[in-house]
Amino acid sequence: MAQTHEQLIQGDPWTINGKQFTSRLLVGTGKYATNELMVDCLEASGCQIVTVALRRIPLGQKGEKNLLDFLDLRKYTLLPNTAGCFNAEEAIRVAHLARASGLSDFIKLEVLYDEQTLLPDPIATLDATKILVQEGYTVMTYTSDDPVLAQKLEQAGAHAVMPAGSPIGSGQGVLNPNNIRIILEKVKCPVLIDAGVGTASDTAFAMELGVQAVLLNTAIAHAKDPLRMAHAMREATEAGRLAFHAGRIPKKLYAQASTPQKDF
Amino acid sequence: MKILVNGEARELPGGTTLQGLLQSLGLRREALVAEVNRKIVEKAQDAALGLQEGDQVELIQFVGGG
Repeated sequence: MAQTHEQLIQGDPWTINGKQFTSRLLVGTGKYATNELMVDCLEASGCQIVTVALRRIPLGQKGEKNLLDFLDLRKYTLLPNTAGCFNAEEAIRVAHLARASGLSDFIKLEVLYDEQTLLPDPIATLDATKILVQEGYTVMTYTSDDPVLAQKLEQAGAHAVMPAGSPIGSGQGVLNPNNIRIILEKVKCPVLIDAGVGTASDTAFAMELGVQAVLLNTAIAHAKDPLRMAHAMREATEAGRLAFHAGRIPKKLYAQASTPQKDF
Repeated sequence: MKILVNGEARELPGGTTLQGLLQSLGLRREALVAEVNRKIVEKAQDAALGLQEGDQVELIQFVGGG
């Protein structure tokens, strides 16, 4: 019997450092109007991995609820990020803090170079990747879409390389698909598009390139209707993955009729 | 004695422990990670860790992020 949509999706899991997931959409927890809306969007997106950040607790707010009060940790794997770190030492410190929570040894390593572009510092990113891999983290490294750097990160032990499709929060989609194609040919560890997705077609396009998964935040959180976009992103991720496996037809210059042209 | 908590100066009675500080701030320990002078403090050590003049305490929690 033909497989259903659900069976095709469930039958196509992926793994990071031995841990298996069926959802290929990772969703951030930032920028939602309310925590309740965030929870609904995560649910609608079908994601199994959520990114979180670490920041100082505001003092003088006794007993206030925090993010973890809203996240069902039986359902979601926490992927703490090192966002806002501009050198390897800071990023490693944040990774240590994240692991000290006892909730996750995953780290989304992000070592930035400047605040305007939020592009990663490639050298510091590589240095920090080496150290955190040695320290036993599951390291998912945010990087530019440079195929050479992606290979160096894999050699350093990164469990996933995550090139930006376009700058963080810019919503420009995947600007250089050929670089992503080259990375996919050269790198064996999971490749994820992290950053730059603006709408569902960007996600579908990224998945059709053959990346293992897409990580996004702003595209849902800042959509006019975030919940609707969360549903759209789930479907786009699944559609893109199915299309990747299904295999697109070659592009041709001239028409090819779908309907027989004779015998009517 | 004066210490810094998340960058803010705080006046505390001498002999205050990390556990005492957290209680006075009304913070739930399970919701945070603590550092004293850039060294992470395990929860089990809170009660034994006496704070000293000039200590820098960082109290960190998970927040939304992408």
